[in-house]
Amino acid sequence: MNLATIQHGAEPLSTQYLTFLLGEERFAVGILHVKEIIEYAGTATVPMMPDCVRGVINLRGAVVPVIDLSARFGRGVAAIGKRTSIIIAEIDDGEGKQVLGMMVDAVNEVVEIEPADIEAAPPFGARIRADFIAGIAKCQGRFVILLALERVLSTGEVVELSRHAVPLATASSRAGP
Amino acid sequence: MNLDQALQTFITESRELLADMEHALLNIDLSQDLGDQGEAINAIFRAAHTIKGSAGLFSLDHMVAFTHVVESLLDAVRDGRAVIDDDMVALLLACCDHLSSMTDGLAAGQYEADPDTAPEGERLLQQLRRRMGAGDDPAQSLAEQSLTVRPEPDVERMGQEASNGDSDYWHISLRFGAGVLQNGMDPIAFLRYLARLGRIAGMATVADALPTADEMDAELCYLGFEIAFESTADRAAILGVFEFVQDDCEIRLVAPRGKVSEYVELIRALPENPARLGEMLVQCGSVTAAELAAALAQQSQQSLHPEVQGEAGAHQTQEAPQRLGSILVAAGQVAPVVVEAALTRQKQVVEQKAQENRSIRVDSDKLDRLIDLVGELIIAGARTSVIGQRLHNAELLEATSTVSNLVEQVRDAALELRMVKIGATFNRFQRVVHDVARELGKDIGLAVDGEDAELDKTVVEKIGDPLMHLVRNAMDHGIEPAAVRVAAGKPARGMITLNAFHESGSIVIEVSDDGGGLRKEKILAKAIERGLVDPERKLTDAEIHNLIFEAGFSTAETITNLSGRGVGMDVVKRNITALRGSVDVRSVEGQGATVTVRLPLTLAIIDGFLVQVGSSVFVIPLDTIEECIEFAAEPGQDYSNLRGQVLPFIRLRALFHIAGAPTRRESIVVLRFGKVRAGLVVDTLLGEFQTVIKPLSPIFSEVRCISGSTILGSGDVALILDVGALLQAVDGRGAAAPALPALAV
Repeated sequence: MNLATIQHGAEPLSTQYLTFLLGEERFAVGILHVKEIIEYAGTATVPMMPDCVRGVINLRGAVVPVIDLSARFGRGVAAIGKRTSIIIAEIDDGEGKQVLGMMVDAVNEVVEIEPADIEAAPPFGARIRADFIAGIAKCQGRFVILLALERVLSTGEVVELSRHAVPLATASSRAGP
Repeated sequence: MNLDQALQTFITESRELLADMEHALLNIDLSQDLGDQGEAINAIFRAAHTIKGSAGLFSLDHMVAFTHVVESLLDAVRDGRAVIDDDMVALLLACCDHLSSMTDGLAAGQYEADPDTAPEGERLLQQLRRRMGAGDDPAQSLAEQSLTVRPEPDVERMGQEASNGDSDYWHISLRFGAGVLQNGMDPIAFLRYLARLGRIAGMATVADALPTADEMDAELCYLGFEIAFESTADRAAILGVFEFVQDDCEIRLVAPRGKVSEYVELIRALPENPARLGEMLVQCGSVTAAELAAALAQQSQQSLHPEVQGEAGAHQTQEAPQRLGSILVAAGQVAPVVVEAALTRQKQVVEQKAQENRSIRVDSDKLDRLIDLVGELIIAGARTSVIGQRLHNAELLEATSTVSNLVEQVRDAALELRMVKIGATFNRFQRVVHDVARELGKDIGLAVDGEDAELDKTVVEKIGDPLMHLVRNAMDHGIEPAAVRVAAGKPARGMITLNAFHESGSIVIEVSDDGGGLRKEKILAKAIERGLVDPERKLTDAEIHNLIFEAGFSTAETITNLSGRGVGMDVVKRNITALRGSVDVRSVEGQGATVTVRLPLTLAIIDGFLVQVGSSVFVIPLDTIEECIEFAAEPGQDYSNLRGQVLPFIRLRALFHIAGAPTRRESIVVLRFGKVRAGLVVDTLLGEFQTVIKPLSPIFSEVRCISGSTILGSGDVALILDVGALLQAVDGRGAAAPALPALAV
């Protein structure tokens, strides 16, 4: 049993989730992962990183990397809108605690989701990688995908991506917003 | 007092004392006679004695018992009954270690003797006792320099102004009978009551009657007090205070401006040692030093030789009059109120305390936090001044500029807090050299230079292990056996030298030995055998020497306990490189070798130069920049003509895939790292900037060319370029080309 599952197993202690939009789709993360939400005000680009690493921001003196969730899900670099926000999340992916930012199109609200209302991820059908999904919940008559943040923001995976990032970066022109 | 806290203090103090003891042991010059060794021996004795005393307070019997024997041996050495030699130093060092392990055990919550180390302690004790048995009768003449740990009289002084000691006070001499407590009287209550009649100007507690702990009966009172009392009350009123205990206590009163003879009377009447009593009178402010000196003179005329009350008393009678006498001389014997000895003494105590308090221990995490906060403050200040500019408010601007100036000073001071002297690290090697030399059977000394060179604590912590390796290696492989040395015309005693100095933003640490030096042919042969170099290649001497830092390299013919396992020098190099440092070796065959380690002064702060490309700002470490020139390229080429020399350059925009067209006036920053020189094409030069380095998240661990980040005054993040990696990537073009498509453009 790895750390991620332990933490995942502990999650039902809190039934509160933060929901947000990515395009038209609603996602949710456990509230215990969320440190704060800030308005998007630009990032400093780190060269030779894959598209999903948008850059770094100054979070009151700490330099925090920002993951472009849209790019991470393979939907292309997110366009900056009026409601674009960064969710500052703390995760423990087995290599110590990490603080990372997640760029999302809009932050919605905090909702209560009872463990009974959560279903396991369907083996196919969702348009994101199955291992990113912790479960699917029904909330206010709609489905919400609960994200497995340890997987989505996995440091190891991003490092692996960055190892091969340069050719990628050449291919897709990283035009600014 | 919280006993836990006190115990922590004891542990910390003991560690310091043990370090002092070790230092003194290692520095003792065995060739000198006892007289010249005196100070070192005293230092060792002092450490042992203090540990014993403090351990007693916490009832750490195993520590007390052990230290007692150590102390006894040291006492014998001081008295000349035992002679300190090389073996004894080794024995005492082992005792130091044993005490250290006891202290560590204590820190881990072990209050009893550890069964694992007890046999070791027993063995040491036997050796100690054996050493003590040896030696002749005491050479009495030496006893005088013995350091006597003198119990300090407990002086409590109320109010400084009382110290003019013009005897305007009543002097009350109180000796409570042993039975007062049993009779339900508390001496302190009477003193409190006394304070209602006037002011207690000074008080000395006489605890001489206190027996040893074993014999003490907690229900008996052993205390007496000498009190200087300022009051308008008359004799009867003061005596009235003690009415309830008058049967149980001895009270003597001397009226204000009493005659010296009255004090002499008093001193004679009291049971304690006259000199000690005299000092107490001075201390409590009733008598001036001059008066006391006169009194004592009078007394010695009456040849009232003091009964020796143990060593301490005897010592004082020899010393006290002389000291007071010298004060008298200093005052020219004319001043109506002579400088008061008590006051001087008190000042000394205060000064000593002040010195003790001059350094405090702070968790380095707290310092890091402070530095972070100051960084935040700078950014917040910068924003304020931007707003001030927008509002065109001159007053506000003036205020913000003062603030930002102060904040920068605070930042420098905060960074300074983390700077420590390298001396402590160096001195740890005294012990290493001593032990390793014994182990190897070689005679090796250590010379240390540049202990005052300061560097960041984080660097100090990380440099210890590599240095250890270098020192051990020099001792093992560098220094030849004594016979070989003598045959080569060198002194039999080999020397290792540690040196440190600052050089252009770095600290340089040198580890030198005067041994056989590196043997080029042997190194080269080995390297070829191991396939580390191509046999066809011609190497310079320096290149050959630096082969010893290659992985899997070892020329030692025999594998010793210490080194020669083929790991070591390459690990040293790796560790130092990880600290943004470099390592180099110079050697002259037959004369020795010097390993030079170059490290940044701090890992936390960098003198940088800001450049901009597109909207991104980068920081280039200032010490890698040679100059900045206007952009000019040979047509169609990626090199420039720098005063007749070819200067290849890197276009940062292309390398980092930064969007947008170059500005019309690009610049080239000329970089040098090691022997490589290259230009870096950027859009704009923004100027120098000293900044705090923020580590980058581990997700950027694969990013080459970026070594960290920092936060600019505007609050934006700027990335710090790793010039070494940048130039390396360009230099090894063949391998790096796929990763650097920009160069092919």
